[in-house]
Amino acid sequence: MARIPSAPPADRFPASGSRRLFPYLFTAVFAASVLFSLREAQVDPRRLLDADALANVAKFVRGMFPPKLTGEFLGLMARAAVETVQISVMGTAIAIALGVPLGVLATSSLMWRGVLHERTSRTGRWVLGFAPYAASRAVLSVFRSIPEYVWAFMFVRAVGFGPFPGVLAIGVAYGGMLGKVYSEILESVSPRPLETLRAAGASRAGVVLYGLVPQALPNVVAYTLYRWECAIRASAILGFVGAGGLGQQIELSMRMFQFDEVLTLLAILFVLVASVDVISGRIRGWVA
Amino acid sequence: MYELTGIRKVFAAGSVALEDVSLRVGPGEHVAFIGPSGAGKTTLFRILNLTLRPTAGALVFEGQDVSELSDAELRRVRTRIGTIYQQQNLVGRLRVVHNVLAGHLGRWSAAAALASLVRPRDVAGAGRALEQVGMPEKLWARTDELSGGQQQRVAIARVLVQDPDVILADEPVSAVDPSLAVSIVTLLRDLSHASRKTLLMNLHSVDLALGYFPRIVGVRDGRVRFDLSPDKVGPELLAELYAGHRDEEQELEQLRDGKNPFGAACRPLPGFRK
Repeated sequence: MARIPSAPPADRFPASGSRRLFPYLFTAVFAASVLFSLREAQVDPRRLLDADALANVAKFVRGMFPPKLTGEFLGLMARAAVETVQISVMGTAIAIALGVPLGVLATSSLMWRGVLHERTSRTGRWVLGFAPYAASRAVLSVFRSIPEYVWAFMFVRAVGFGPFPGVLAIGVAYGGMLGKVYSEILESVSPRPLETLRAAGASRAGVVLYGLVPQALPNVVAYTLYRWECAIRASAILGFVGAGGLGQQIELSMRMFQFDEVLTLLAILFVLVASVDVISGRIRGWVA
Repeated sequence: MYELTGIRKVFAAGSVALEDVSLRVGPGEHVAFIGPSGAGKTTLFRILNLTLRPTAGALVFEGQDVSELSDAELRRVRTRIGTIYQQQNLVGRLRVVHNVLAGHLGRWSAAAALASLVRPRDVAGAGRALEQVGMPEKLWARTDELSGGQQQRVAIARVLVQDPDVILADEPVSAVDPSLAVSIVTLLRDLSHASRKTLLMNLHSVDLALGYFPRIVGVRDGRVRFDLSPDKVGPELLAELYAGHRDEEQELEQLRDGKNPFGAACRPLPGFRK
């Protein structure tokens, strides 16, 4: 028997006929922008293959082998690696501390729209709901539109060299990203269970605890772990502006043309990122 | 129980979902609503469970005009109305016990609700409700590991824990296997009969409605077309109700030819050849 699923209420998704042109228009603009960028970005593969370039690459690669593996060097670098992990952990912790409250404020379904606010007055919606919502979205945009590299540069000026500016840079930049993504995850949960709980007389807290949080939690955890992984790589880059960790060592060795050290350092970074991947995979498995 | 007068619902896009619906439902009554898809049955149920506000008309629940309720009163009235949906509307990642205990949320404080997620509060009550729907062994299972029919039983168990005065079931069997449909409809009927609850059900299947309900309301184009006992609902009336809706007309053809999709479990339908 044909079962026709009930269509979504017509007042939520108004049909629009004017959208049909959009895909074609978009494809044309996209194609044009690729061609234009190809020229303007001076993409020219031949330059990779000319004699000078190849000679430089060869020198670089030859310099890498054998990688430097003396006990003294490894000992020093192990310290830097630990520092990198510490920067990423603390940075991510600050990012969560910023991202959770800002993300909640930036979620329209929690602040001013939808089933939780059916009885809120119009002024209440605007003053207590929409205003903080818009403000926190703006703050999140600023936090994440400034690259962590630039944040680190500013924090190095403010608090001096060392791991702390790196922690702050990751905390602020990733706080912006986490907050934005948390709000998107919270928005995208299925509204049906929420409406069901509301219809059975549940309070707002009840709806959030039994409808919203359990639906959102696995994605929130998974995305946070993914950001932690990114933070390890980022903390390596941040070292370039003097924010400690492996990055600072990579930068030093590169400047000294010690490519054998660079290879060792990159290998350590690889091991770090791979281990974080394994650990976060485990945790994601538990919460999924 | 319910008293509706001149209910009209217009959505923001301008479409009229319901027009001049007036209806009385007494306590303990069992009523089935039938009609083609898009007739406005689901909208009517969302008005009856106080999710949607009618654009015009009066809805009186137990002698109280619901448009005059305060926030707290609205919540209290809602705890007395239990709804079962076409889709299960459960949270798949939660264990069955939590989805069932969510029926208590109208009574629990936020702290109690949170505590119960860590250490379930009324395990015995949830277990009893699951026993009534015939699957006590699923108490600790993850909800998304259950089949569609089992999830629908979890939804019923939640309503049992909620213990409302009215059960609204909006197409409760549309998403489950036809062989399970009869058992779910009879389960709802028997449970609400035993506890003297009012039962209103939207049904896609005419034969289930006519076979199990003493009162049939036909809805088409947002209006109540008839409100009769099943023996008065004949083939002509049904043909008129579903005219122009091909899928449903075909189902009616099958019924008329004596092919009952629900098999021997359904009683012979009045007005149709066996």
